Order: sequence, then structure tokens, then C-alpha cells
Amino acid sequence: MSGKERLTRRAFIGRGAAGLTSIAFSSALLDMLVATTGCKSGPGGSPGWAHLILPEDVLAKAVAALMSKGADFADVYVERAALDSALSDDRKINTTTTIEKGVGLRAVKGGRTFYAYTDSFEPERIWETARYVADAAAAPAASSAPPVVTLAPLASTLSFPIKPLPSEIGVGAKIELLKGLADRAWGGDARVVQVLQLMREIVRQVQIATSSDALINQTLGLTEFIAQTFVKDKEGALQVAWDMRGAYAGRDFFTGENAFEKVVDNSVAKALRLLEAVDSPRGVFPVVFGPGMNGVLFHESCGHGMEADLVFKGSNYKDKIGKPTAAKGVTLVDDGTIPAFPGSYAFDDEGTPSQRTVLIEDGVQRGYLCDITFGKKLGMPSTGNGRRQSFRYPPIPRMRNTFIDKGSTPAAEIVASTKRGIYVGDVGGGGQVDVITGNFMMGVGEGYLIEDGKITRPIKGATVSGMGIEAMKSIDMVGDDLVMFPAAGRCGKMQSAPVGVGMPTVRVRGILVGGKGEAWTDIEGGTK
Amino acid sequence: MNAKKDYLDIAEYAVGRAKAAGTAAAEACVTDTESTQVTVSGREVEQMNAVKEAGIGVRVMRDGKMAFGSTNDLSRGAVRELVEGLAAKAVYHTADEFNVIPGPEDGTAAGGWPTGADAELGVYDPMVAETPVQDKIRTALRMEAAGLDADPKIAGSMIAFYQDGTTYTYLANSNGVRGWFRQSGCGGGLELSAADADERESGSFTKVVGRFAEFDPEEVGRKAAANAVAMLGARPIASCEVPLVVSPEIGTQILSFVAGMLSADAVQKGRSLFAGKVGTEVGAKGFTLVDDGRLEGGLDTAPVDGEGIPRQTTVLIEKGVLKTFLYDCYCARKGKARSTGNRSRSGYGSMGAVGTTNLYIKPGTASEEEVLAGIDRGFYLTVVLGLFAAIDSASGDFSIPSAGFLIEKGQKTIPVRGVSIGGNLFQLLKDVDTVGGNLTWFQSVASPTFRVRSVAIAGK
Repeated sequence: MSGKERLTRRAFIGRGAAGLTSIAFSSALLDMLVATTGCKSGPGGSPGWAHLILPEDVLAKAVAALMSKGADFADVYVERAALDSALSDDRKINTTTTIEKGVGLRAVKGGRTFYAYTDSFEPERIWETARYVADAAAAPAASSAPPVVTLAPLASTLSFPIKPLPSEIGVGAKIELLKGLADRAWGGDARVVQVLQLMREIVRQVQIATSSDALINQTLGLTEFIAQTFVKDKEGALQVAWDMRGAYAGRDFFTGENAFEKVVDNSVAKALRLLEAVDSPRGVFPVVFGPGMNGVLFHESCGHGMEADLVFKGSNYKDKIGKPTAAKGVTLVDDGTIPAFPGSYAFDDEGTPSQRTVLIEDGVQRGYLCDITFGKKLGMPSTGNGRRQSFRYPPIPRMRNTFIDKGSTPAAEIVASTKRGIYVGDVGGGGQVDVITGNFMMGVGEGYLIEDGKITRPIKGATVSGMGIEAMKSIDMVGDDLVMFPAAGRCGKMQSAPVGVGMPTVRVRGILVGGKGEAWTDIEGGTK
Repeated sequence: MNAKKDYLDIAEYAVGRAKAAGTAAAEACVTDTESTQVTVSGREVEQMNAVKEAGIGVRVMRDGKMAFGSTNDLSRGAVRELVEGLAAKAVYHTADEFNVIPGPEDGTAAGGWPTGADAELGVYDPMVAETPVQDKIRTALRMEAAGLDADPKIAGSMIAFYQDGTTYTYLANSNGVRGWFRQSGCGGGLELSAADADERESGSFTKVVGRFAEFDPEEVGRKAAANAVAMLGARPIASCEVPLVVSPEIGTQILSFVAGMLSADAVQKGRSLFAGKVGTEVGAKGFTLVDDGRLEGGLDTAPVDGEGIPRQTTVLIEKGVLKTFLYDCYCARKGKARSTGNRSRSGYGSMGAVGTTNLYIKPGTASEEEVLAGIDRGFYLTVVLGLFAAIDSASGDFSIPSAGFLIEKGQKTIPVRGVSIGGNLFQLLKDVDTVGGNLTWFQSVASPTFRVRSVAIAGK
């Protein structure tokens, strides 16, 4: 059970308290087990892709209907998705398959968005829904003669092959694979008391037709694996840890550091280390963030504040173009073109080609993350960041694969030059940000004390929190060891979206560390 | 939207097809939802999203093996294909002697359950669906305006939305369960920024009610504004160990974590440190925790749970002593107990899991002044960030980035941001030394203000 299952009992309402726009990045496991929207499963067998594609004339007529009452922009989003998952819990393995389909219809008029969707592929139902949306968006003096729309297919040089397709793997073979991985975790140590593993494969066939006459056909895919292990020592202390990977690719991607076995072994090793760990010290002092998945830190601490909708409404990054928003030497990039990464795609969910967008260059703000609607409100072109969770949602500006680019400090020197502080191996606990104040937090999954320039004992129960721009300016070392991490994280900002992250080793001079251990004061690099 | 006999028929059709496909037992759940979401920004509509959606979720069981699937295509052909696919693939799944499609021996409501106004316990209001969308838009605009106009220090709104939903749930299984119920709710949320010289602060408020007429948009506006303005000038305090006062809103969020550990599923699978503690003291004498699935007007009230077991009132912790866990039928069979009617499902696509219904701390008698009285120096917690990442669901250790107010000589004084409070959830329950009388509901969880003896604060 989780809080989410409870809250979504009345799924139509958001949550408060931490700030409504406080945006969470949580471990995919938590989200998926209690999937907040849509379905978790459906009929078995292979999806009938042949039925997906709606004829061009049906789409063109729907776009025309959307535009018939004077809208500025309109699009039709057709989706058919198959979600295959296999859950291994308490030594029992079960699979589910969901088939979902629907058509989302959007009209934008004067910066306002009007949206509705239908779960039917019947042309009449689609056109009827389109007319409903057009009426809602109607301008008083609009002509009632529908415009003629002629769609032109767009092509991309980017391709994201999914090998093998989930439908090419039998249920029996899936269960055998999961069984081996569960046995591996249970056999990893005598102190293992519970193992939870989830493999999920999503294939989304999408068609987008827009009032700019663009027609896009693309297949989006995501394969994810998450392993969670509970351990208990003889004194009765219980600890849990997890590791995860996700890719816009098939299972063939998961080799080397991303192998399923590696993910399982990491979850066991991390949990066991927590049994030996000491309570995290607390206070403001230096924190060294290891490379790779800690990039989530920047997703929270600054990425969200640069999303055009939040900038427009007054986030802490508003009016910052050309101004310093991070320490010199810090470059932040959002790249939607990295092969196989979970935040990549050829076209975004409103038909704009994806791109590599530099947000901060050597400490100076260069850009924001724009979709069509909010980019226009800021006077900027779309950067291809208009994303939606499914046909049920209109697109909003979202991150793709966001990372700090590599710096010039040899990574080994960073810990060596830190007298006292903590080293964060991973922020597996996820995090959240309040974009008005820039106050962000990350839960530390794997952490260690740094004593006299060396990584020593493991710590537990730590969180790191700070204020966005202030924290970005207190970065004093950026390593030369950039690692891109194909996370299986889910970013929840009213809608959920898969994203990738990355970073080199980075040191923040002084940042708030929470824990229930000793209070550290007067630490070099701290506030005093 | 009215109850559709068709949907109950489709559920029964699915159950019938499952039997024909050779399964021993089956259950189908159809949900039919109508909802509206309106977001406004700067006194204008930003987005309007209207949704009508129905779908079916089916569980089939054969040879002790269970399979679940769902689809939003309610045609007989699609439902038949779904069910036959499930029957075929269940064979590969892991058998479990406790898997169950519930029947009378598990406590299902014999002969169905009463439906209609008298039996609805105040959880359905036709006006939620019938109110014209233009009125809903006006409600959202009024809410935002009330916030923007509440104080000259309010700088703008970051998010302002009205949302509502009405859901009909139809449930049928091969062991005699057959019936339906309906629920509705509506509400709004607002987050505002406040500014004063170089200071910027945020404040929000969310309210959800069962009846359209009960939703007071001005209340949400005023409270969000007051929360934002009160935080202006917030500063960190130095690390210390002091008493903690928890506001009702944060209390409800912490309670949700505690409830997660009280799920029989977590206990039976070795994931909860409450295992083996029934009958022992796990909280302070003044701490009583109740889950009430039949609470009049409760936002999560229903006649039956997600598998047809009548909802009930369950005292989980009474005066500090752990009395029981939350059970569904699977956990009940495994733990040789009775289901407490706590199978939660969030729609047709959810197979369901053990979950709370309407959860609350039994209020005490202390006024807010009495809760604060006697605290020479303490922290009043009103805002938390990333709670899900700040509390370890296994060990209960927490360090929660927080904001709130300093308490000095029994009075709430200056606003505080940039601190983190550290402790352990199991210890916190034992350290609750005063419980207020101001029980306050946030969605389907309620808490009064309460005081905790001591926590470790990390600050400047």
C-alpha cells in the first residue's frame, strides 16, 4: 500500500502542502506499483498495430473541425499503447498487459488551451469531440466554414529501434528471466528478507496531425527494470534499497553496467551497506555528488524552474536569460536526441523535432525549455519540449535527458581536497522542488562520510536540500568524468514522463544536510 | 450520468466468459468516470479538460493462479478477447494458496448491498457532474482572485485549478457479488507567490469536498494567500534539538506513511517493523488511529471495498496499543484473519491493493494555545518537501526538509525555511505528548495539531 493508492481513490484531485507545483521525481517503482493513471494491464497477445493508423483524411477533417471556430492552433494526438509488465514480489511472479487507445483533441485560442479526448477510433466520435473542443474555444466572430487542411508527413534522421519488441518475447520466457533475477537477489545474502522486482515494457504508437499541416507517425518505447531488496539483521534492523534502469530501447540495451543482474546485485549491496551505516550528520557543509544518476539533483534544483510554463508564471528563473545562474564552469544541457535514452524522441508530442538545448553555459542562463504555447508567451520558439503522458493530456513543457556537462577538475581530486563532508553515491530516494522559492530536496540512497579527503563509513537517513540558484552558485568543483545515466525515474508534474539524467562528480561548497545524527558546525565550506 | 445496467451486464458477461474459458473463479469491475479540470492563470482560463471514460478490469483464477487485465474498450468482443487472454496466460503465473476471488465465507455482502440515496452516506452529489462547465470556470476564477486580492504582498499565482469527478463502480464476481455504487467529489488548489523587497515565498492550499455547494473557493484563496505571506522573511535557524508541533496538514501526510506500514501485506511480506507488535505499545497513550470506510460524508466512503467486502470501522492503534492491521481477502486468508474491507482500487485499471479509506487520529481536547504552552523554544512544522523521499519506509528514519515557525515561550513567532527535521517515525509515535482538538480533513485523511517531545533539527 502507499499513499498514492489511497489518494488516487479520488484520483481527480491534486495534493497540497509542499506547494502544488512542487514537482516530484520519484523512483519509478513506487509510481508504477500504484500507477496513478490509466491501466496496469489488459489482454494478452500481440497488439494489432495494423488498426492504429487513422487515415490521413480522418485526421485532416478533425484538425479542420478544431480550427473551424477561429482557434489559433490545433492538433490531434492518436495513440495506441501496449504496456507489458512482469512483477516479482514475495517469490511470486505475475504479468499483465494493457492495451489502451484514444485520441486527444486540442484547440489553442489566445493562449488558452481547450482539450478533450475520446477512447474511440470511430471517425464520427472523433469529429464530434473535435467540434465540442472548437465550440469551447470559439471566438465570437469566427467563421463557421471549416478550413481545408492538407497534411504533410514529416521525417526524422533520429531512430530508436526497440529490439526485441515485447510482443516477441513469450510470457513463459519472461517469467523464467524474472525467476532467475529474484533467485539471484534472495541468494545474495542470508539477511535478505524480501525482494521486489518489476520489468515493464511500453510501446506507444503515436500519430500527430497539426494545424501547421504536419503529420507525424512515430513509435515511442520504454523498457524499465527496477530491483528493490529488503534486508534485516539479527538485531531486527530493517533496511531497503533499490537500483533501476530504463531505456528507449528493447531488452538488448541492458548489458554491461546496465545488465539486469548488475541492477539486482546493486540493490542487495546497497541495502546491506545501510545495515552497517551510521546516522547522517546534519548541518551545512560540503557535499560531493558522484557521477551519473545524481543528475536528478539538477533536474530538481533548476531544471523545472526553467520550464517555460513555470518561467512564464514567475519561477525563480524568470528574467534570467544572459544572467549568471550558476557558478562559472557549470554547463547544463537538456538533450532529447541521445540514442536509447528514456527522454529521447524524434518529435515531441506536438510535432516539433527534438533537439539538444543548452540551458546554462559556463554559469550563464542561455535558454528555457519551451513548448509551442508557453514558448509563444515568452516570445521564444519551441525547443521540442512539449510532452504528454498519454492521449489523456494536453502537452506541457517537460525535460528530456538533463545533465551537467563535464568540467575540468580531475574527479579524484574532488574528494581528496575535501577535509570533512559527505559523499553522495546516489539520490535514489528521489526529490522535489518548490519552483517559487527554488527550495529543492533530494533523498540520499547511498552516502558516505568524507574524513580527511577520504570516503569512509556509509551513512543512512540523509537528505540534501537547498535553494536553486544559490546552490548552483556554490558549486566549486566540476569533475572531468561525465556519466550519462539511463534512469527509470518518473517525473511527476501533473503528468508523469520518463526522463534521463547525467553529471560528472561535482562538489557543492555548503549545502543543508538533514539527518538524525550529530550536528556538525564550523565545518570548512559550511556557513560559518 | 446515471447508473447503466449495461455496465453491470458487461461485468457479468466478463465473469461468464472467464468461467467458459476454464477458470475456477473470476471478478470484473467496470468504472465509469466523468470529470472536469479547469486551470486558470492571471484571472484567465488557461486550460479546460473534460473527460468521460469507462473501462473494465478483470481478475481470473485457475489452479491457484491469478491473472489481471484491463481495457478501455467495452465492446463484448474486446472484453471476450481480454478474458480469454488472461485465462491462457494465468497458466504461467505463480500459484499461491491464498489467492482468492471472495465469496460469502470471506465476508462478501450476501445478496448485494443497498444502493441509492439512503445508502450513500453523503458521498454522491449529482450537482458535481450537472453543474455547467461555465460555473466551474467561474469557481476557479473566484478562487484565484480571492487569493490574488487577499494581500498586497501577493505577487502572482503559480497554479490554480478546479477539479471534480463522479465515478460509478460496478462489481461482479463468480461467487455471488453483484452491485454498484457511486461517489463524487470536487475541489480546488491554489499556489501563490508572495514578495516583499527581495524576499519571495510560496504558499498553497487545497480543499476537496463531496458536494459542489460545499466547496468554498474564497476559503482556498484566502488560506493560500495567508500561508504565502506568513512565510515572508523566513530564515534558517541553527541546528538544535527541540520540541516539534505538527500542523494538521503535515500530520495527515505523516499518517499516510504510518498507515502504509500497517498494511497486513507489508507486515506479512517482512516489509514493516510493526510485524509481531499487535497488543504492544507502539505509540503514546494519547494516540489513537482509526480507519473508517463508512464515515458519513467521508471522501473515501463506499458500501463495499474493491472486492465486494462491506466497508467497516477499524481501530488500528488505540491509546498507543497496536490493535490490528488493514486486510483485504488475500491477506486475511494468509494471516488467518478477517478482511477489514480495505481492498482499494483506483479505477478499472487497478487490480487493487490494501489501502486506507478515511483515516484519522482521534482528536484530543487541547486548544492550539495549550499545545504550544510550555514550549520555551520549539519548531512549528507547516511545510514539508519530498516527504516520500525523506522518510525511509523500512527503518522509519526520516530527515525532512521543512519550513514553519519558531516557537518561543509558548508563542508562534518568526517564519523558518532552510531546515531539516530528523528522527524516527516509530519513536515519533511514542513521543506524541499532546494532541489537539482541531481535527482537520485533507482529502481522506485527518489530523489535529499535535506535539512531539523532541526532534533533531539541522540548520545553519
